[in-house]
Amino acid sequence: MDEEYDVIVLGTGLTECVLSGLLSVDGKKVLHIDRNDYYGADSASLNLTQLYALFRPGEQRPESLGRDRDWCVDLVPKFLMANGDLTNILIYTDVTRYIEFKQIAGSYVYRDGRIAKVPGNEMEALKSPLMSLFEKRRAKKFLEWVNNYREDDPSTYKDINIDRDSMESVFKKFGLQSGTQDFIGHAMALYLDDAYLKKPARETRERILLYASSIAKFGKSPYIYPLYGLGELPQGFARLSAIYGGTYMLNQPVDEIVYGDDGVAIGVRSGDQVAKAKQIIGDPSYFREKVRSVGRLVRAICILNHPIPNTDNLDSVQIIIPQNQVKRKHDIYIAGISSVHNVCPKGYYLAIISTIVETANPLSEIAPGLKLLGPVVESFSRVQEIYEPVTDGTKDQCYISKSVDATSHFETLTCDVRDIYKRMTGTDLVLKQRPKMEDQ
Amino acid sequence: MSTKSYDYLIKLLLIGDSGVGKSCLLLRFSEDSFTPSFITTIGIDFKIRTIELDGKRIKLQIWDTAGQERFRTITTAYYRGAMGILLLYDVTDKKSFDNVRTWFSNVEQHASENVYKILIGNKCDCEDQRQVSFEQGQALADELGVKFLEASAKTNVNVDEAFFTLAREIKKQKIDAENEFSNQANNVDLGNDRTVKRCC
Repeated sequence: MDEEYDVIVLGTGLTECVLSGLLSVDGKKVLHIDRNDYYGADSASLNLTQLYALFRPGEQRPESLGRDRDWCVDLVPKFLMANGDLTNILIYTDVTRYIEFKQIAGSYVYRDGRIAKVPGNEMEALKSPLMSLFEKRRAKKFLEWVNNYREDDPSTYKDINIDRDSMESVFKKFGLQSGTQDFIGHAMALYLDDAYLKKPARETRERILLYASSIAKFGKSPYIYPLYGLGELPQGFARLSAIYGGTYMLNQPVDEIVYGDDGVAIGVRSGDQVAKAKQIIGDPSYFREKVRSVGRLVRAICILNHPIPNTDNLDSVQIIIPQNQVKRKHDIYIAGISSVHNVCPKGYYLAIISTIVETANPLSEIAPGLKLLGPVVESFSRVQEIYEPVTDGTKDQCYISKSVDATSHFETLTCDVRDIYKRMTGTDLVLKQRPKMEDQ
Repeated sequence: MSTKSYDYLIKLLLIGDSGVGKSCLLLRFSEDSFTPSFITTIGIDFKIRTIELDGKRIKLQIWDTAGQERFRTITTAYYRGAMGILLLYDVTDKKSFDNVRTWFSNVEQHASENVYKILIGNKCDCEDQRQVSFEQGQALADELGVKFLEASAKTNVNVDEAFFTLAREIKKQKIDAENEFSNQANNVDLGNDRTVKRCC
């Protein structure tokens, strides 16, 4: 590693791997290091041995759960929006060559003590048990407005100024009840809290459109999921980077970021080796002194031997518990997957619950989620800080990603990717289609 | 089906130490070319060659390591979906032969369980620098329960034979038995869709 590179990337989380891939494709000489002996950092999928090593150090994994190779356990409950930006990046970089995807079979929301399917369009809204008959008509009118709104046709505005009127006032205009607002804002627009109500309606409309267009793509839910777990995503982009010359080193300690006299980073030291580079990218764990905590997340990974109750025995689901429904300030998310996605042996199911910590007793905060799962074979929980960089990296050339956040998808992560790319290169990320495979 | 230029697609991959000639073997087989200088693989994702077996056109899609074997950082995704694996060592490099067991156990951990494997001792044209005998290679292959060939990408010895042997075995066991190939019916196809818009 005693060489000079254009960019050194620290940590093989998804943000780092996407950037590594994109920069290698741009012709940059990239060295990519992880202190762990596996890919993925916080976006890894672990086998049982790795899972027990992380959550129960010193404890042997039980033989009853079977072979290591049959388990790929995600650490975070996230899915890809079928029509979202990560899907877009995967397609343009042709990383879809390395990963196969399946649909998530259903999306559910918690209301008044039970869970029900989230309507994806006007027609589904009419059938939904979530609303009374009159409320359904109002919701249908609202979704029609969302869908028919055209920038160049004021007659579609319905007297709403999308950049000035708050979402709260738009809901009011359509006469929607607070419970309906909950599932539209939280289960369709996928907001984690209620701050959006005071903001102009434009972003909420765009988020609902993304949700609806993602459902329209494949049918069952707005989400898709990689076979063998989310950990395939960083690895796919790592291969892209390697194809374009990126060098990968795992299980390589990073002892120090080396700075010049002017405070600008010039390289990375590992043992007695120093690799030099003009720019350094890394996740917050490699830059403890340059990040601040913006909150804490509690997550629980649960192994089940049955589908999640009341979800029509589906092989995979998302469940959202909107904050108001359980008197919280942030939503609780549950991601449920199974052997259909090659993440566990037949007969097993995985459910990951997460929410933003609000009290001194974080584990009790995910109780409403646990209650929905029924009997659990094994569970692993932990509380993690969410970090953000303190500076934008343009002065010290250290570009630090944000921690994997509480959202149920990857839209904020790809925003971070695009943002870091722009700060590093001075230009917007323009995706170029890779040559088709037959051309190679 | 009539627009397809092949009857079956078989995914193969190459594995083994850095410098044993994986890319050379691949280029000899797919393009009938040979570059003697040692260049770590850059830019090759996979190569294609369509062969004919018993009147069927079999499209072989053969994946290379992208240089990630150098520091043992091959992604688990590399092994997914492979139907056949060529395990390579260099007959003039004892260490690459000793490491075959490690690569074999990686295959056992990450590749599908009934994947076909063949052991190839490459560079058999370099007789004067040989460090691993044919018999040692054969003994290891017997122990691992796989077929064995010595080959030379440089002088084009047994290169076609290596790939054909694997392809024939896979065709016989998997395609003729008509299993495993309909498994992907429920996956979503992102491949040919360029209409996705970004949202933020």
